[in-house]
Amino acid sequence: MSKQSADRSRAARAAALLEEQRRREARRRTTVVVGIAAVLVALVVAGYVALSGRDTTGAAASTPSGMSDGYGVLVGDDAAPTTLTFYEDPQCPVCAGFESEVGDDVADAVSAGDVKVEYRVVSFLDHASENDYSSRAANALMVVQDAAGAEAFAELHRILNENQPAEGTAGPDDEQLIAWAVEAGADEAEARVGIESGAFDQFVENATDQMSKDGVNSTPTVFVDGQQAEGDPVAAVRGALG
Amino acid sequence: MCQVPLRSLAYLPGVKDWFGLVARVVTGGVWILAGALKFPDPAASVRAVRAYELLPESIVPTVGHLLPVVEVVIGASLVVGLLTRPVAVVSTLLFLAFVVGIASAWARGLSIDCGCFGGGGYDADATEKYPGEIIRDLGLALLSLWLVVRPSSRFALDRALFDEGKRERHEQAVR
Repeated sequence: MSKQSADRSRAARAAALLEEQRRREARRRTTVVVGIAAVLVALVVAGYVALSGRDTTGAAASTPSGMSDGYGVLVGDDAAPTTLTFYEDPQCPVCAGFESEVGDDVADAVSAGDVKVEYRVVSFLDHASENDYSSRAANALMVVQDAAGAEAFAELHRILNENQPAEGTAGPDDEQLIAWAVEAGADEAEARVGIESGAFDQFVENATDQMSKDGVNSTPTVFVDGQQAEGDPVAAVRGALG
Repeated sequence: MCQVPLRSLAYLPGVKDWFGLVARVVTGGVWILAGALKFPDPAASVRAVRAYELLPESIVPTVGHLLPVVEVVIGASLVVGLLTRPVAVVSTLLFLAFVVGIASAWARGLSIDCGCFGGGGYDADATEKYPGEIIRDLGLALLSLWLVVRPSSRFALDRALFDEGKRERHEQAVR
């Protein structure tokens, strides 16, 4: 064998070795990439299962007695010519302001038989409370509706709006809610069981989801005879009351 | 006269890698924050998605539950530099999707909180916030795009995982 051809075959062997190494490296690379991608996908799936598991929206809920169609509490004479629908969260400051503006006039119009009001109590402001006041108060309203009917509901609704805690603070505790429920007309034992057990928590969650499905993204939102009022809710109610 | 060419800075070895690190940490950090803030209230995440009125109701809950998780996973892999290029592709597309979503909400006259960092739903000042949100997401999309084009960066796990073979081959070739 000449020196030249020996050199050439050595070069060829080296090239083949290098090529083999490159191929092995590519295989390893593919394995690592696929492995990592699989782990990332598994993390997403696990997180998704955990998150959707914590969301009980739509789960079966016990419904307070005497609710109108859907999630409303109907206050007033069924035969009243005008229907107002109010979506409200008990922790929502604008709702409390809205109620202090128009609450008395609405109550008068209800007494006169001119309007009926469907209250849609929802809760999405627990994050603005140190002790989940929003959902606890919403549940308390449903407990009173269930135990003592719409007039007692309207009374507790008034009391809660007048005593609304500031956002970011701890709201009234369950004992206080029970006391107000009794003041509004509910039996104490019934109010205590319902409020302490969160009897209608799931119902309120479903009501909140329905609000979003109704295209309502904020509270207070006012509907007049089924038509969503644009702009200032106070003006909408004033307009409807004439 | 001696003039340093202006472009030379960009060609200094390492500067681009350092910029890659910044891009990874900024976009990844935003993703982690945005996703983690939505974890406590999955129902609110679903409502925030629904408020855009873009997706069919049948997939709204799935998207609402999936988005926060995807955001955190994308963010984490960008921060540590794992599969930087493919993850940056997803990151770019997702930021662009959000730009489209916000722009479309704006164009349709919806007044909603973008829900970018939790929250969502109505926001009285939404219209004033839309331009800033769009610019922010476009900026983040551009940073992600940089990582698609040039995924190599400092302190990336990708280097530890994938550069070893290259180095070995390089050494052998030199020998």
